[in-house]
Amino acid sequence: MPLRDRAAALLREPLVHFLLAGVVVFALLSGRPADPGERRVKVNEAVVSRLAERWTQTYRRPPSREEIDALIGDYVKGQIYYREALRLGLDRDDEVVMRRLRSKMIWASTSQAETASPADAELQALLNRDPARYTLDPRYTLTQLYLGTDDAPSRTAATGLLAALRQGASPDGMGRPAPVPTRFSSAPASELASLFGDEFAAALRNAPTRSWTGPIGSGLGLHLVRIDRREVPAAPRLADVRQRLENDWRSAAIKRAEDENYRKLLESYDVVIEQPR
Amino acid sequence: MREMRMAAALMLSAAVLVSGCDQIKQVTGGSVATVAESEFPERVLWGDTHLHTSNSVDAFGFGVRLGPEEALRFARGEEVTSSTNLKAKLARPLDFLVITDHSEGLGATKALFDAPRMMIRDPQLLRWHDMMHEGPAGSLRATAELLDARAKGTMPLGLQNDADSAKRTKSIWLDHLGIVERYNEPGKFTAFMGFEYTLMDGGNNLHRNLIFRDGKDKVSTVMPASAAGLVAPDKLWDYMDAYEQSTGGKVLAIPHNSNVSNGLMFMLTDPSGGPMSADYARRRAAHEPVVEVTQIKGDSEAHPFLSPNDEFAGFGVAGWELNNLLSTQPKSSDMFAGEYAREALKRGLAIEQRTGVNPYKFGMIGSTDSHTALATGDEDNFFGKHSGNEPSAARATSEQNLGTRKGRFGWNYLAGGYAGVWAKANTRGAIFDAMMRKEVYATTGPRMTVRVFAGWDFTPEVLKGNWVRAGYTRGVPMGGSLSPVKHGIPKLIISALKDPIGANLDRVQVVKGWTDKAGVTREKIFDAVWSNKDKRTRTSGKVPAVGDTVDVATATYKNSIGAASLATVWTDPEFDPALRAFYYVRVIEIPTPSWPAYDAVHYGAKLTPDVRVKQQERAYTSPIWYTPV
Repeated sequence: MPLRDRAAALLREPLVHFLLAGVVVFALLSGRPADPGERRVKVNEAVVSRLAERWTQTYRRPPSREEIDALIGDYVKGQIYYREALRLGLDRDDEVVMRRLRSKMIWASTSQAETASPADAELQALLNRDPARYTLDPRYTLTQLYLGTDDAPSRTAATGLLAALRQGASPDGMGRPAPVPTRFSSAPASELASLFGDEFAAALRNAPTRSWTGPIGSGLGLHLVRIDRREVPAAPRLADVRQRLENDWRSAAIKRAEDENYRKLLESYDVVIEQPR
Repeated sequence: MREMRMAAALMLSAAVLVSGCDQIKQVTGGSVATVAESEFPERVLWGDTHLHTSNSVDAFGFGVRLGPEEALRFARGEEVTSSTNLKAKLARPLDFLVITDHSEGLGATKALFDAPRMMIRDPQLLRWHDMMHEGPAGSLRATAELLDARAKGTMPLGLQNDADSAKRTKSIWLDHLGIVERYNEPGKFTAFMGFEYTLMDGGNNLHRNLIFRDGKDKVSTVMPASAAGLVAPDKLWDYMDAYEQSTGGKVLAIPHNSNVSNGLMFMLTDPSGGPMSADYARRRAAHEPVVEVTQIKGDSEAHPFLSPNDEFAGFGVAGWELNNLLSTQPKSSDMFAGEYAREALKRGLAIEQRTGVNPYKFGMIGSTDSHTALATGDEDNFFGKHSGNEPSAARATSEQNLGTRKGRFGWNYLAGGYAGVWAKANTRGAIFDAMMRKEVYATTGPRMTVRVFAGWDFTPEVLKGNWVRAGYTRGVPMGGSLSPVKHGIPKLIISALKDPIGANLDRVQVVKGWTDKAGVTREKIFDAVWSNKDKRTRTSGKVPAVGDTVDVATATYKNSIGAASLATVWTDPEFDPALRAFYYVRVIEIPTPSWPAYDAVHYGAKLTPDVRVKQQERAYTSPIWYTPV
């Protein structure tokens, strides 16, 4: 894009309008001329009363004539140094200045996105793009018996118990006491993973249903398991996951606004990187 | 959208009218979720009740740039980028989170940072503003000065509760509540509304976290209470009462870091030094049902000075036993008794004997108090107390002068703690109610599961059947009170399980406290059940140490010692039905590497010999109390 078109495109950007308006307002409010290079320092009434107020707050009394004159003198000095510093380019490569202006730019580019709200179509598109992220967990209705640490005696015990259970023995009273449920009703896989560890939840995915199986390993040791029902959830619908979608949409919108703004700015720059050898 | 919300609201009120207590309907962002409560709590829920984000004056000053939204995403198990540009994700999500930003000057540091320089009138604020913009080092210095100014009461007016900051507080508070509401997902992840009330007496820590049971509709009708306006705990209780009366909602307060209160958190007297009245004791117990006893800034369960016969006392006291929070006053040993939870539980019995009311009848939890917006609680994921000490080679041995002068060091900070809650569902209501009945416990980070019930007629056979049902129907769970019976002896069903991705258990202990016939408080620790029993015989009342598999050079350990689960029915061998008593369970893990040891491996940190490189992590349950007729 030729430079002129780029400049024209930039001028059409609402953000640029916003930023320009901000600069003007700031300049007006601060009583500072729009062009810091201008060789005229005007100390208006607003500035004088602010200087006096600041003094009063510190010393709990208004400044005397000499004191206010000194404050004004110092203000003028600050203005002149500031402008001369800009003229000499001393603001360049100054970490403090850079950090400050960077945070102002980011704030200006993201403040609109924070309050925007999405249309359903946008949320649906977000859902279609990554349905896996919003897919609900499979749920299990199962009975588990905890046999203790994975060692030879536990494995031997597992074989005996499994045979008995398959012949219809009651699981009540079998296994070791542990402060986790024996029976789960429609429990999401994530809950089982948090109680027993990821490998246990993973092993359930392909385990047979309606019969005792095992031993299945977990972060706690060995288990015998009977899955009575495995519910594999249907594809998520917008209504089910609206809140999560909205949350994701908003945080993405904020990030996008910043990235987009930065990308536009970056386009008008040549960036040359010389890596040290 | 609006119609849908209306419909949801109507359904909600209808549900409240027609349903019993076993079903909760909650409205979140326009959809209605139905979450059933189980008959008894079935599984423990894990959470952090104490987390700071960029809205906290000190956290922002220390460099955190992540806000409540990132904090909630992280706690739910999503990946976020830390303030120092490190990618961070929890190995396991949490079940609930309470963001507790300091109410005092809520967002003030951020506002100060963001303010146009020209608009700042106060020279002190201007100086801090400039220091913060100098970069991390300046920001740390500015924040240290800011905390110091608060302790000394010399905070510039601009950061105190004048009209400007009230307006700012309101806007940040409402935004914050909105975000929390959006991330609350009943049944899956609970996001609570809350804040920290940062009461300080000099530099003595009297902080409380407040947790609301309710949603934005109720909570947004109040502003967070500030210690600048409410200058004593009973003023805070007035605020809580007023909230409950005006909204019909519920709120509780959780004191923390009694270990740096220089004896003021659990006083035998009332705050003015006079005898504690029954009314004061009753109010304290009613408003503060739970105490946070372990977190990054040390552990407050027991101190060796108070419990010389407890070889496991003194976990996480190094550095914190020197002086108060802001190091403005050194600590003398007579202050310990007002600082440690076990002693407070004993004092509670003594006060009850005198007044008839126990002010310190509290449950125990752990939390992080992280100021990084990241609720990390484990040794191998410690993200630092604040963003000024996110992972780096130097942080374990560097001085951490929070505020001023006297040195604590990086390694004095613990990796954090978590709260285990036996709730009937993962909802605000169910978790809050579990905290009110103190059916909660503390861990120093590992997610070990612990259950305890006390009753009169339990035999070892109970463990072969449905002992949980037996526990609830024939006894009381942790946090409960055992009513006296004739000729009975208290029996505890205890069952503990290792963290599924953590270390084995060394032992399970019962900590008993009581007042003797002369009214003097006593304590004793019983090893109730331990691992490797065939090799470890009790000699002169003590079970020998479990051993040690930690290899510090690689920051690893082996589960070749200890046990995955320990269970028993324990009988009090010294029960005297005439004496008031409490029992709580302490579960001790086998030794594991500490976070400085992981830092040494990951970042090549050079550790000095005094640095803690391994420890035995632990869980403390809430007590069960026995009161004679």
